[in-house]
Amino acid sequence: MFVLPPPPRYPTQAAYNAAVAAGQATPMIETNNILTTPEEQFLVGEGTYVLKEDLHLATPPPHPSEAPVINPNPLATTPQPATAGTKVSLLSFAIRPPPPAFFRLTSATTLSASIAEHPNESRESHDAKFNSDGEGQGTSFSDGGPSTSKTKDANKRRKPKNNMTKSNSSFISRVIINESLTKKLADRPGTAFSPLPTLIILFTKAHCLCHAVNKVTKGPGHLDLIMGFSTGEIIWWEPISQRYTRLNKNGIINKTPVSEIQWIPGSENHFMAAHMDGSLVVYDKEKEDAAFNPEEEEGTVDDEIETSVRGVDHLSRIQILKSVHSKNQKTNPVAIWKLSNQRINAFAFSPDNRHIAVVSEDGTMRIIDYLKEQLLNIFNAYFGGLSCVCWSPDGKYVVTGGQDDLISIWCPSERSLIARCRGHQSWVTSVAFDPWRCDERNYRFGSVGEDGRLCLWDFNVGMLHRPKASSVRHRGSISSRTTNLQRAETQGTTASRMRSNSGYSGLDGADDDIQSISVPVEPRSMTATIPPVLTKKADKDPLCWLEFTDESIMTSSKTGHLRTWKRPSDSPAPAE
Amino acid sequence: MTSLLSRFKTGAAMGSLDPSLSGRPNMSLFQGDAKAAAKEAQKKKEEPPPELTPLEKMLQNAGPVREDGSDKFYGLENFGNTCYCNSMVQALYYTTVFRENVLNYPPLSPSETPEGFKPKVNVVVRAPLAENGTTNQANGKKTLTTAEALARRKQINSGQVIPATQQGIRPEDKPDTPEYKKKQAMLKGPILELAQENPGAYGMDECTFTGLRDIFMTLVEANTRTGVLSPQRFLEIFKRDNEMFRNSMHQDAHEFYGLVLNDVISNVERNAMRLMEQETKRANDGLLQSLESALSHAVMPTSNGVNSPGTGWVHDIFEGVLTSETKCLTCETTSQRDETFLDLSIDLEEHSSVTSCLQKFSAEEMLCERNKFHCDHCGGLQEAEKRMKIKRLPKVLALHLKRFKYTEDYSRLQKLFHRVVYPYELRMFNTTEDAEDPDRLYELYAVIVHIGGNAYHGHYVSVIKTEDRGWLLFDDEMVEPVDKHYVRNFFGDKPGMACAYVLLYQETTFEKVRAQQEAEGLEEVRIASEKANVATEENGQGGVTNGLTRQVSQPNAIPTDDPLPTLLNQAEGSSALARSQTAKADPKSKEERKEAKAAEKAAEKARKAAEKDEQKAKEKQRKERETQLREARKTEAENLKKALEESKKTAEEEPPKAKEASGPNIPSASGSMGLLNRTRQGSKSMSRKSLNFLSKDKSKRENSEGPAEPAQNGEAVNAEKPPHTPTIKERFSFSLGRKKSHNVLS
Repeated sequence: MFVLPPPPRYPTQAAYNAAVAAGQATPMIETNNILTTPEEQFLVGEGTYVLKEDLHLATPPPHPSEAPVINPNPLATTPQPATAGTKVSLLSFAIRPPPPAFFRLTSATTLSASIAEHPNESRESHDAKFNSDGEGQGTSFSDGGPSTSKTKDANKRRKPKNNMTKSNSSFISRVIINESLTKKLADRPGTAFSPLPTLIILFTKAHCLCHAVNKVTKGPGHLDLIMGFSTGEIIWWEPISQRYTRLNKNGIINKTPVSEIQWIPGSENHFMAAHMDGSLVVYDKEKEDAAFNPEEEEGTVDDEIETSVRGVDHLSRIQILKSVHSKNQKTNPVAIWKLSNQRINAFAFSPDNRHIAVVSEDGTMRIIDYLKEQLLNIFNAYFGGLSCVCWSPDGKYVVTGGQDDLISIWCPSERSLIARCRGHQSWVTSVAFDPWRCDERNYRFGSVGEDGRLCLWDFNVGMLHRPKASSVRHRGSISSRTTNLQRAETQGTTASRMRSNSGYSGLDGADDDIQSISVPVEPRSMTATIPPVLTKKADKDPLCWLEFTDESIMTSSKTGHLRTWKRPSDSPAPAE
Repeated sequence: MTSLLSRFKTGAAMGSLDPSLSGRPNMSLFQGDAKAAAKEAQKKKEEPPPELTPLEKMLQNAGPVREDGSDKFYGLENFGNTCYCNSMVQALYYTTVFRENVLNYPPLSPSETPEGFKPKVNVVVRAPLAENGTTNQANGKKTLTTAEALARRKQINSGQVIPATQQGIRPEDKPDTPEYKKKQAMLKGPILELAQENPGAYGMDECTFTGLRDIFMTLVEANTRTGVLSPQRFLEIFKRDNEMFRNSMHQDAHEFYGLVLNDVISNVERNAMRLMEQETKRANDGLLQSLESALSHAVMPTSNGVNSPGTGWVHDIFEGVLTSETKCLTCETTSQRDETFLDLSIDLEEHSSVTSCLQKFSAEEMLCERNKFHCDHCGGLQEAEKRMKIKRLPKVLALHLKRFKYTEDYSRLQKLFHRVVYPYELRMFNTTEDAEDPDRLYELYAVIVHIGGNAYHGHYVSVIKTEDRGWLLFDDEMVEPVDKHYVRNFFGDKPGMACAYVLLYQETTFEKVRAQQEAEGLEEVRIASEKANVATEENGQGGVTNGLTRQVSQPNAIPTDDPLPTLLNQAEGSSALARSQTAKADPKSKEERKEAKAAEKAAEKARKAAEKDEQKAKEKQRKERETQLREARKTEAENLKKALEESKKTAEEEPPKAKEASGPNIPSASGSMGLLNRTRQGSKSMSRKSLNFLSKDKSKRENSEGPAEPAQNGEAVNAEKPPHTPTIKERFSFSLGRKKSHNVLS
């Protein structure tokens, strides 16, 4: 348990009172985080998870000069800005044992021919990929490219330019600092994730939609944090020194909101941002922005010019507006790939750092080889948009959740849908694997949704490949499963697999190229359905984030409740 | 570039029309005063043309009017609590397959229309509301002019509290309120009135169907894309046939939907019967076949026999089949019964999705206690399990969200504000095993929204996806384009008590959805980057000020259309003609340019005259105000001067052309200033009486406003200045200047 920070002071309290008196929306003055421990628990096969704590994050009132104007007209047609719930990054400075990686051996073999290693990328070794302390720094994004920086000494790490606390930038409204932040970080290097609510930054013009911490460069004296904003801008922020740099300033590169941002695994400087116009942009935190014009002449692929003439067929390839291999790498962006015109909701790097899975509002999940800048597959949701995506720890499977209330398990190497998971009563907002409960045959993952529910799911390879297997965990064996699995077995090879689902025309009419990339929607009767091993109303508000740690499951709700569910203590996780 | 130029040109052309406005009665501050009257006459010329509504902006380059009625965007007049009808009729109109079938029924063969030509609808084009007609003047109230509207909107959007002065202003006078927009729609017209009987038009008795058909026909045949339709007759007929609706109370839109469809079915059926009797002499089969093929291309030979011949299309569109499986718990026999449905009423749960509510709908239900099941097998009432599944999916799936729940403690219907999310696309999970095409893909195309706290009061609007114009909001007389995300505002959890009440999904295919998404994506990208622009340029007011920026970023007074109500009431079609002409004629015509120049000259003259008048008016004002608070007056007068200087300066800085263009606006701006001042003073006394709390605030505001405001406004103006090419600078600067001057005053 940690000490709560003192309530921040607001020097302009009078302004608030005035606002209230003026009949404007009463600013919610909630200056303190509230920590409660309601008694809740749930029982799964391995034991009882107990709610350890419920932290309600403070929502500081907006700056008086920019108190939101609430339009009383419910039909007001002014477009609303994009929003995101509470997103959390967990940091651990101690070297903790990484989740058991017994799949290390299998991962090499499961990667099928279709995503075989590029000879140049052999440095993306499997050894580096599971090290959370970032020893393998050199294996960064584009190896050999001029863009890789190889600073190793943590003390010499470059800091962002501007001081946040002393900034008079109009972008940052104010910073509420708990002065003991640095001290705490220094004092307690061994502390596990401790959601220290020690610092609040308020932004004037935009709000933050996503953020990420660089796992390579993190250390007790340095953190590289990037934040993506609703204006498309990105802030690189170093919390210890309180310095920041604005990237994509005023949307010079892309004006649409950043829906997801992540450091490229193993890279110190590069991160990838998903903008809502359907483009993925790679930035370098230390480079200057430059106005971006699509590099037509760069034309890594011949037909790029062709496509720009006849309109882009987003279903067969990604449009490389700027390639990583572009010679002009003095400024940001490092690369821009246009996937479609649809909002990208999330993306995830595969554990071997070779692929990304990108889900978007149009209900597609794209598997992209980002090193080769190539679109490998498009999978389609049952209906509605997809909102979250996650790879299994061994990289074999991808799990997505979306607006069909379903979680779909995909196998990219087999280009197939493994199963659909039914159990949520509303849209699924976040999925995550529990690496502590995964082994080479069994997989455990969790999901949260707008229904405020936390669901846990198990599936195992045995069940999938041997339909009659005595898999105890899966109580609901579904008749249709058999057909699916048989089919999956017979068509196990990825080579030239053609789906011929009647009534599921999908893209049957299109040319072969597309067909080989896009995987049509599976009818319900042909798909295995998995019931949850647990469904628990984990919060009364919609949930938006979920993560597994070695000790607990953490969930967060849109209203700012951060809940920690302690793993069963009696039965240790089967992580030997 | 060319488009900007052409905009200017049309604007100039508009100016040439201005003198014709002089006949138009206009409101004035200084009524009863000779000088003021003169000034007023002046002002009429200078009144900037009414703003284009967002809808009109969208339709500016729409090309020729289509035949099939898919690009008619009419509001429907509200006769007092008839929004249930308006929202539903709009939704039905944009149900393409239904519209087509209604329009094609009864099929036009010589035998049915003895006259031999197309049936005509009795449309009366009503005079649009006289803008400042006698009614208004009798009330002593005034309508807002465009300039004032703009100014006021700016004020509201810039995050200021609406000054207490506006307490005296009716809701329809506040720009950006639905009331204001509706009124503008009525002012603009044309208003197509369907009030007369139209017997025998289709060889049918007058009934709900004919009423509906009249509406559809009128819309399809209308010459203009926008306007207002007054569905008076339809309502009369409907009320005649449905007793429950024979009052002016708030009614249930879903009930209305069911009744209309049932009426249509029975009307069509009756007609079919009649026709059959008529045609018995003839070779029965042949005719019916031709009939059916004429009616709908997709009439399936229905196995369940619910359809009588010739009426298949209504069923075919809306009707699905539910199978209820009942398992008697005593004898374990399962009995099945099929029933048809036109919509599904689903129970709601907090934080759920429509998908899951639909699954709940099909969940097992115990029949016990008072609700026991009569089992034929074991004879007698038994406990049983019942499940409802969908056997046949309809083409159009209407989902009624049961937002109104009967509570025992209140013994009345309460509204549930559960958050129920609905996806743009949908497939049904609860189909029977033998259902055909169980994975049918539906797309959301209409949301009927109920706004209000309970079932007895409130308002209905509909948000409808049109074939190629994206999503539109239909709120009685008003039609406005909205972006796709707007549809998600009615999940039920947002403030404002607006919740989706009926959802209409229509059958679609995967490919269509993909194609549409691509197109929508482009639009979305545009909106998203615009939003970002707003955030970076405006001072952090985010989405709220958005509307403003968007409007400003296009020259706000693009007069492509002659908005004159007086003209319109004579010839409703001509305006459309004029519009398309101006739109087309843009790049050419020297005559127009000449005209424009002439207009400019006239305007220049007018401006000089206006300035003189203004001086006089100012003095006049001063005198008037002598009785009023001295301090307030002084500062105000000073501000006025400042404002004038500023506006003059801006006018001088600009190239001569712009000067002329901006000329006419100055006086009108001053007029609006005057108006505001006056209303403020008027309402002051009022607020003193009733609303101490607000007036206190107001006075505070007044004190602080003087020094603080100009800077703020300057900033705002700068921020708003859109990054446009210099060619149109003239237009902007005048509007900005005007705003500035106005704001200094307020």
